[in-house]
Amino acid sequence: MSAVVSPIRKPLITGNKTYHQITEDLISPTEKTPTKEWVIGFIISVSVLTWGVFCILWTIWVGIGSWNLNRTINWSWDITNFVWWIGIGHAGTLISAILLLFRQKWRTGVNRAAEAMTIFAVMCAGLFPLIHMGRIWLAMFILPYPNTRGPLWPNFNSPLLWDVFAISTYLTVSVLFWYTGLVPDFATVRDRAKGLRRKIYNTLSFGWTGSAKHWQRWESLSLVLAGLATPLVLSVHTIVSFDFATSVIPGWHTTIFPPYFVAGAIFSGFAMVLTLMIITRKLFNLQDYITIEHIESMNKVILLTGTIVGVAYLTELFIAWYSGYVYEQFAFFNRALGPYWWAYFGMMFCNVVSPQFFWKKSFRRNVTLTFFLSIVVNIGMWFERFVIIATTLARDYLPSSWSLYSPSWVEIGIYLGTFGLFFTCFLIFARVAPVVAVAEIKHILKSAGDQYIGENNKGKHQQHGISNSEHH
Amino acid sequence: MKKQLDNIWIGREDLLKEDAFMQSAEKEFAKEEIHYADMASNLAGNRRDFLKFLGFGLGAATIAAGCDFPVKKAIPYVIKPDQIVPGVANYYASTFVNGGDYCPVLVKTREGRPIKIEGNDLSTITGGGTSARAQASVLSLYDTNRFTGPKMKSGSGWKDSSWAEMDKIVSTTISTSNNIRILTNTIMSPTARKAISEFTNKYTNAKVVTYDPVSASALLDANEQNFGIRAVPTYKFDLADIIVSFNADFLGSWISPIEYAAAYAKGRKISDIKQAKMSRHIQVESHMSLTGSNADNRILVKPSEQGTAIAHLYNEITGGSVGTTGLNAKAKKALSKTAAELKAAAGRCLVVSASANINEQLMINAINNALGSYEATIDMSSPSYQRQGNDTDLKTLIGDINSGNVDLLIIHGSNPVYDTIYGTQLAALMPKIKNKISFATVNDETTDLCDVVAPSNHYLESWGDVEAKKGHYTLIQPTISPLFDTRQAELSMLIWAGSANIDLAKEQPYYEYLKESWRTGTFTSQNEYSSFQSFWDSVVHDGIFSVKNESAFSFKNVSIGEVSKPASSELEISFFETAQMANGQYSGNPWLMEMADPVTRTSWGNYLAVPVDFDGVKTMVGYKNLVDGELVELTIGKKKVTLPVIQQFGQMPGTVSLALGYGRTQAGNTGSNVGVNVNDCLTAGPDGPLYFNTNVSVSERVGKEKEFSCVQYHHTIGVKGIDKETNKEINADEAALVFFDYFTGVKGFQGALTDRSVIYTSNVKELKNSIEHLQERRKDAQHLNEQQIYGGFDEKYSLGHHWGMHVDLNACIGCGTCAVACMSENNVPVVGKREVSRHHEMTWLRIDRYYYGDVENPNTIYQPMMCQHCDNAPCENVCPVNATNHSSEGLNQMAYNRCIGTRYCANNCPYKVRRFNWLDYTKADIWPANQPRLQEESVPFMADNLTRMVLNPDVTVRSRGVIEKCSFCVQRIQEGKLTAKTEGRLLNDRDVRTACQTSCPTGAITFGDMNNKSGELTSKLESPLNYIALEEINVRSSVTYTMKINNRDKSFDA
Repeated sequence: MSAVVSPIRKPLITGNKTYHQITEDLISPTEKTPTKEWVIGFIISVSVLTWGVFCILWTIWVGIGSWNLNRTINWSWDITNFVWWIGIGHAGTLISAILLLFRQKWRTGVNRAAEAMTIFAVMCAGLFPLIHMGRIWLAMFILPYPNTRGPLWPNFNSPLLWDVFAISTYLTVSVLFWYTGLVPDFATVRDRAKGLRRKIYNTLSFGWTGSAKHWQRWESLSLVLAGLATPLVLSVHTIVSFDFATSVIPGWHTTIFPPYFVAGAIFSGFAMVLTLMIITRKLFNLQDYITIEHIESMNKVILLTGTIVGVAYLTELFIAWYSGYVYEQFAFFNRALGPYWWAYFGMMFCNVVSPQFFWKKSFRRNVTLTFFLSIVVNIGMWFERFVIIATTLARDYLPSSWSLYSPSWVEIGIYLGTFGLFFTCFLIFARVAPVVAVAEIKHILKSAGDQYIGENNKGKHQQHGISNSEHH
Repeated sequence: MKKQLDNIWIGREDLLKEDAFMQSAEKEFAKEEIHYADMASNLAGNRRDFLKFLGFGLGAATIAAGCDFPVKKAIPYVIKPDQIVPGVANYYASTFVNGGDYCPVLVKTREGRPIKIEGNDLSTITGGGTSARAQASVLSLYDTNRFTGPKMKSGSGWKDSSWAEMDKIVSTTISTSNNIRILTNTIMSPTARKAISEFTNKYTNAKVVTYDPVSASALLDANEQNFGIRAVPTYKFDLADIIVSFNADFLGSWISPIEYAAAYAKGRKISDIKQAKMSRHIQVESHMSLTGSNADNRILVKPSEQGTAIAHLYNEITGGSVGTTGLNAKAKKALSKTAAELKAAAGRCLVVSASANINEQLMINAINNALGSYEATIDMSSPSYQRQGNDTDLKTLIGDINSGNVDLLIIHGSNPVYDTIYGTQLAALMPKIKNKISFATVNDETTDLCDVVAPSNHYLESWGDVEAKKGHYTLIQPTISPLFDTRQAELSMLIWAGSANIDLAKEQPYYEYLKESWRTGTFTSQNEYSSFQSFWDSVVHDGIFSVKNESAFSFKNVSIGEVSKPASSELEISFFETAQMANGQYSGNPWLMEMADPVTRTSWGNYLAVPVDFDGVKTMVGYKNLVDGELVELTIGKKKVTLPVIQQFGQMPGTVSLALGYGRTQAGNTGSNVGVNVNDCLTAGPDGPLYFNTNVSVSERVGKEKEFSCVQYHHTIGVKGIDKETNKEINADEAALVFFDYFTGVKGFQGALTDRSVIYTSNVKELKNSIEHLQERRKDAQHLNEQQIYGGFDEKYSLGHHWGMHVDLNACIGCGTCAVACMSENNVPVVGKREVSRHHEMTWLRIDRYYYGDVENPNTIYQPMMCQHCDNAPCENVCPVNATNHSSEGLNQMAYNRCIGTRYCANNCPYKVRRFNWLDYTKADIWPANQPRLQEESVPFMADNLTRMVLNPDVTVRSRGVIEKCSFCVQRIQEGKLTAKTEGRLLNDRDVRTACQTSCPTGAITFGDMNNKSGELTSKLESPLNYIALEEINVRSSVTYTMKINNRDKSFDA
């Protein structure tokens, strides 16, 4: 990749890195003994995960009756968590695929971790549609396989079935994408390793030699996968939103859901990436690779998507009023002023008000504020799903059936458990693979390294039109 | 396969290119079947099949070996009984009787087991209707708490005995006793009375004392004074244009509710729209009773004001001058208006009262007499024997026991320690009585204090007869051999009396006795049959026999004494009987315990009903700011209990109320220690117990009930109150829906409830406008629905059958019979208090109850809500596995085996009628570990092998994790279709009737084929009052409701 870089672009790699330094910085975490912070984090994560597994087994053993759902509110924390995790899983593909196609170089600093996060988030999300089933042991009924019952096929009209396809496709493509990126990096790890470790990484890297043919195929595959993944970014959450949009329940049955859900998903995904990256860059000393520039870029996306979400909320309210349809009107009236008003208020504040801080440049570049707001945003997005699912169901058509809901310890335990799963996976990932894409960072070093562009190198590269590919 | 090279060959045939070989080589897959010499022809297969079988066999064997399914044993008929065809139900005519509760029934038996109660259409009293109590009675047959044989008290427990041993001991006891008392509830059986009289004739020191758990003694005594007949007259609610009821819950529990409800509904149904006419019903009461909730106007008087209220009406009608000081002015005014209305409708009106004061009942009689009701709406010529209790006798008995004058007490189907005002006293006195014998089938508070139990049969195991009204006989016949070593109480009495009329050598001695009794009795009073056998056969077949046997009567004026004086206390409490629990007689029955109370919508316990009012801003304020489900300390006299409250619309300010029949201590797993018992809090009146107390106080909230088991949290659709700020009338409930207004002070979303197309109501005087409004709304909805891209399958549904239902909300009184019938028919599990409190009830059919109108004194609408079998069902398209789908006959079907329990269908159901098996309620799951123990019982309700005998074999028992819902009784549809087919004719209305339809005492539910143009349903669907709930969402429901019409006179409230 070679490009002419504008002198006003800020460098994306700071610290005057050489290729070797990059390798050292990014590969060494996989080679050292784990730090104390990692060990503590890992123990906590595994403990929480164990608790979550217990709660899931409890649910399967005792029945969904161990949750506090009822005849009116048949979904609540389960599907809220599902949509929330799926939403978080959107940033990875967006960063990998869409930003790759748009040649956004700043993605290289964060794409690896974001993709990993996507996969783990989708794993967490995928749990819920399974365990919320009354009879999980018959979960295979949702798959279209030839059978002796007629054959009896699943119902292709059901959005839940679309979910199955959408999510499994998304997970598959995300894993492929992530792994493809990892192949040259595994090879780099292998090259520095000895003994069994070497053998393992050699297998993982598919015997990568770094030949030009390998690089060429690798780049093609990345582009092809990016092309495949791009529609998925839009489709997955669109289909998730169909779970609600195709129903007849007032507050669910709205055509605005697909774009609104996608924007919300990117919003929460970027917030989660920020939360994770701010911790990771601190723990692994990656400030030179994940720079303030990266944080600012992501904050801009958060500001944009947060505002889209805000507009969607207001549009919903307007349409409810404009429809003149009593059920729709009441559904929104109830969301804002009914028994769960606090959830609606929390959602509005966290998702619409809080990102507005990022209009100010110094706030966008403030790591502490960003970290805090990224968490606020994800709380808000959780509230959004809770508002859509539980409070809508709580008061629907027939007042006789209105009910209330609060979670049981099992439901809370399962939600916590998914955090355990997520962080356990992420911590293992940070130990076995480079959390920043080494090869891709090296690609952009000469076009975005601070010794080549910006203040340190005024005018220099303009003459040369640095191309970095020849340096590999 | 194409040959690549010619010089490669695989055999001689190939090399020589023999024709036969070449031909077969062309075909990769040979068509010729390979025949194995030693294989049976039907098992012939090829290598592929073999591999398939092998693979399947191995897989199946692995799975089968890995899972240990519990073995459930079934024993086939070795010798098939003649009368029983497996899979085909037999119906036997019988009569449900429990004390004064009466219902002629048909008992459905399958493979020799009674499983369902249906009404007997031949009855001129009930007309085929049933009650929740009758419906649930089949379950008490299989009560696990029943006595399994004669028992003797041993320490605090029971010791098994034998009938021979017991008879010996009892005979000695009887012959050595000086004063024998038989304490019984109403006995309507002439033969049983005969048997008892044989006993009392033999032992002249024996006396029978009759009482009713909820007393009607004053009414009987008043009638005795006025007519010389100590009986309840026949009330003809259908002939009355104006019905005034003083606290009589005649639709729910008072005397003969099935009969009254059926007649009452006749006057409430709107048949001719142009000249709409309906009866007018005024209820005078303090608490919202089931009957009061159906009334057009309710006049609120405190319980202690009842007497003066009756007196005021008496004065107005007859010109009497009984003192009425203390009666509230509003009620006085309204009663004067009532009097004017009554006088204008003289001869077409009816006044009834449940007062326990003889003078008040005498006044009621005088009012009725003055209005000419005795010639028209009250028939004294065929008196009813459904209440026979005598409170004076009971009082005397207690006195006798107290003075040690009773040394043998025989308890015959009654439970005085619990259900009389003397309960506590009697419990303390019981040890004073030397010998106590009980005939109870299940242990109860009284039996527990007895020495000997000679358990009687359940009525479904018994022979017997009933004379509910003079000349109206019904027969009780057994539908199963006694499940346990029990013996009918009547037979025990005859044996102990040493009767010469009983032949113990016979297989069924009491049957012979009964038959003989009919031969010499009823048979002689008729001339339709000449041979007794044909007479008897017809009676056993029909279950019913009537003879014209009217007694002459004349009204005799008697002087009327004092009425009860209004109390001046700040708070009064009234106690009332509910349709399901009576005074505790039914609290051991899980179906009735779980049935939501029609009015409060609570189950599993009695809730203190407190008045509620709108604060003019955004809150419904309960008495002392109490909220539903909060615990209070209730002090009545010396008694102090802690119990939960429920805000009750229509409860008079300054009063609270509480249901009788709860808080039993010996009622098996189901009824023990559920709710609180207040029988010892009744006031002792001059003529018997008064069902209220004025010495009462309610504390501030002391906590919250852990398991607040109320199935409906929102109670109203448009109750109107005055907005404090603007002084305008607003929908108070809509204002109260706002929990937080962001300081904007909005008065809720006005129209949020009333603009819903859930219920439509109208005053009968505004009917024309209301129908126009309804039609307009429907047209709008239909117009919206036309703007669609869904083609639908109307063409398909127009062929063959298309099932539909019509529910006449003007006939529906909300009694809950259909809900229990549905549980019985469809094996709906009972889930217990904790699960109900979590809104996990499983009822396929529920009766939604909404209040509307004046917030202080609202009207009520009941709406039976079941699966609407939408032809464009939102549940169907969202199921990922096609577990719920539509039949070509318009049925929304559930394939339980296919259901994986995503519950999306339940979320997407606008009517919220889908029910999920949250836990293993039925023990049908493959994992036995997770059966919930609902009331600390050892197995779930309905999961015990004995209780399971009540299950309908035509309906699958659902396991954990699947959705279930109303199926329109698809098993009955299939059966009806088969019947018509085998008889080679078209299906008619009678062939298929759903369980809710047949159980309904008022005929509110009509089920049928919408494509049958001559059917009853089609004619009902023509009424302009009809509407479809939530029509605008285009789900195309198959259930039609009618607009609810009331006949309220608004000037009463001024």
